[in-house]
Amino acid sequence: MARVELHDIRKSFGKVEVIHGIDLTIEDGEFCVFVGPSGCGKSTLLRIISGLEEQTSGRIEIDGRDVGNLEPVERDIAMVFQSYALYPHLTVGENIGFGLSLARKPKAEIAEAVNRVAETLQLGHLLDRRPKELSGGQRQRVAIGRAIVRDPKVFLFDEPLSNLDAALRSQMRIELTDLHAQLGSTMIYVTHDQVEAMTMADKIVVLKDGAIEQVGTPMELYDKPATPFVAGFIGSPKMNLFDGDVAAQKGCEVYGIRPEHIRLTDDGDWHGRVRLVERLGADTIVHAEMETFGPMIIRTDGQSELREGREIRAAPMPEREFRFGKS
Amino acid sequence: MKRRQYVIGITALAATFVIFVLPFIFILLNASKTSQDSAALDFSLPDRWVFFENLIAVVQARDYILLLAYWNSTLITVCSVALMVIFGAMVGYILQRRHSAWNKVIFGFVLAGLMIPPAVVPTIWLLQQIGLFKTIHGMILIQCAYGLSFSVLLFRQFIGTIPRDLDEAARIDGASPLQIFFRVILPLLKPVTVTVIVVQSITVFNDFTHPLYYLPGRENVTVQLTLYNFQSQFVSQMNLLFMNILLVTIPPLIVFLFFNRQIVAGMTAGAVKG
Repeated sequence: MARVELHDIRKSFGKVEVIHGIDLTIEDGEFCVFVGPSGCGKSTLLRIISGLEEQTSGRIEIDGRDVGNLEPVERDIAMVFQSYALYPHLTVGENIGFGLSLARKPKAEIAEAVNRVAETLQLGHLLDRRPKELSGGQRQRVAIGRAIVRDPKVFLFDEPLSNLDAALRSQMRIELTDLHAQLGSTMIYVTHDQVEAMTMADKIVVLKDGAIEQVGTPMELYDKPATPFVAGFIGSPKMNLFDGDVAAQKGCEVYGIRPEHIRLTDDGDWHGRVRLVERLGADTIVHAEMETFGPMIIRTDGQSELREGREIRAAPMPEREFRFGKS
Repeated sequence: MKRRQYVIGITALAATFVIFVLPFIFILLNASKTSQDSAALDFSLPDRWVFFENLIAVVQARDYILLLAYWNSTLITVCSVALMVIFGAMVGYILQRRHSAWNKVIFGFVLAGLMIPPAVVPTIWLLQQIGLFKTIHGMILIQCAYGLSFSVLLFRQFIGTIPRDLDEAARIDGASPLQIFFRVILPLLKPVTVTVIVVQSITVFNDFTHPLYYLPGRENVTVQLTLYNFQSQFVSQMNLLFMNILLVTIPPLIVFLFFNRQIVAGMTAGAVKG
C-alpha cells in the first residue's frame, strides 16, 4: 500500500512536449482513474509512473521514496496491459509465477503463491493451459494474477478491459472493484471509457492534451464540472453544450444541460421537432432539432410514446443548468 | 477452368519430375554400376548391380577419409549454425527494438554482408595473420560471417511481429535485458529459428568452394571435397563418384525431410498469437 505523488511531471518526445507539468497525489488505497480522449497522454503518464518511460523532468514518489530513476521492478509496482501481454510459450501457472522465478524464489514458495492467486481469481483448473487456449476474460484474469502474485504496493492498469465484449467488460468491472476492496492496494487505472471511470473510481483525473483538466470524485465531476470539456466527457449521453448566441443569451461563454435534466412538458419554453428516437428499454434517448438551440439530446423514460417528426416542448430542470466562462 | 487447372498441375508435376527426380535416378543407377558400365554415362540399367560393393569401396577409400569428412562437415555445420542463430537473434532483436542513430549504420553493414561478394585472397591473408587459416574454427567463423546477414534479416523481421508489450511485461516482472531475451523472446522465435537452421545448415554442409579455399589439408577435408577422390585428370571412377554424391546428398535431405514438418507446425503456431 502506498501513496503516489507526482510533482511537475513533464515528458517530451523529441521537440514535442506531450505531458505539460502534472502535479497529482493519489492516496494510499485509492482507486484512481485517468480518463481522457486518445492522445491526451494518460497512457504515457501511467508508463512514466511504471518506469517503462522516463520523464523528461519532475519527481515521482511512491510511499515518500523518490522512484524517478529506478527500474520498474524496484518501484514495487505491477502492471496489467491492454493486450494482456501473457507469455505465449508459458502455461498459466508459469505466467503467474514468472516474476517470482526471476527473483529466484524457492519452487515450493512459487507454487504456493501461484495457487493462492489462482484460488482468488478462480483460475485453479486452468494452471496447465497455454494462453492461446483461454478465452479473453480468462486471459485478463491471468494478467491480473501475474500482477497480484508479487503483492506490489501499486497496481497499474492500462485499458485492461477494452479488448473484451460488453457483457464481459461489465462483469470484469465488478470483479476489479471487488479485488480492490479485498486487497486495499493503491490502483491507477487508465481508460477512455467514462462509464468505467464513473463506476470504479474513488478519484477521477480527467486529462486533455497532456494536462490535468479536473480531479475529483465521480459525482463531483458529474455535478460540478470545471470546464465544458469535463462536462462533455463525463456522463452518457454527453451533455448538450452550446456556445455563441445561445450561450450569450444565457449570460456565459458556454451553456450546458445534461440530456437527463431536460423535461418534456407542454408548458416548456423550448420547442422543436423529434429527429430520431433511440429506445433503450429503461430510457428513451430523443435526438431533437430545437428552434433556438439546434440539435439537442433529451433523455426521457422508457415508456415514452414519442415518434420521429413530432413537435415537442421542453424545459430545463432548475439548478441543473451549467454556465461556463471562457474555457 | 477445372480442366485448365488439371493440365497446369500435370505439367508442373512433369517438370518437377524431370528437374528433380530424373537426375536422382540417374545418380542412383550409375552408383549401382561397375566401373566399366558407368564410364558410358548413359541412362541404362546396370548389367550387374554392385550397389553395396560400391558403397563399401567409397567408405573405405583413402583410409576412410569419407568418415573424417563427415565429422568435419558436421562439426563446421553445427557450430556455425549455432553461432548464426544466437548472434542473428540477438542482433535482430536489438535492431528491431532499440532505436538509435547507429541502427542505420549497423543495418547498412548487414545489407553489405548480403550484397558485397566475399574476396578470397584478402580473406586468406587475414586468416593467416590471425592464425586461423587451415583450421576448423577458422572455417566455422567464415561460414558464420557469410550466413549471419541473412539470419539477422530473418530474425529482425520475425521479432517485429512479437508485441513489445511482452518485453515490457517481463521488465515489470523484474527481468534483466538478457533475461528478457533468453526467457521471453528466444523461445518465441522457434519458427524462424527452424527456418534459419534448415536453410543455413544445408548451405554450409553443401558448401564446396569455401572449404576448398580456406581449408586445405588432408585432415581438414569436408564431404563435398571428397568428390575429388574419384575424379582426376586421367582416372575417373564414375560409379564411385556417383555413390559418393549419393552419400553426401543424403544428410541434407534427411534434415529437410525431418524439419519440413517442424517448419509447417512452427509457422501455424506463430500465426495465431497467444
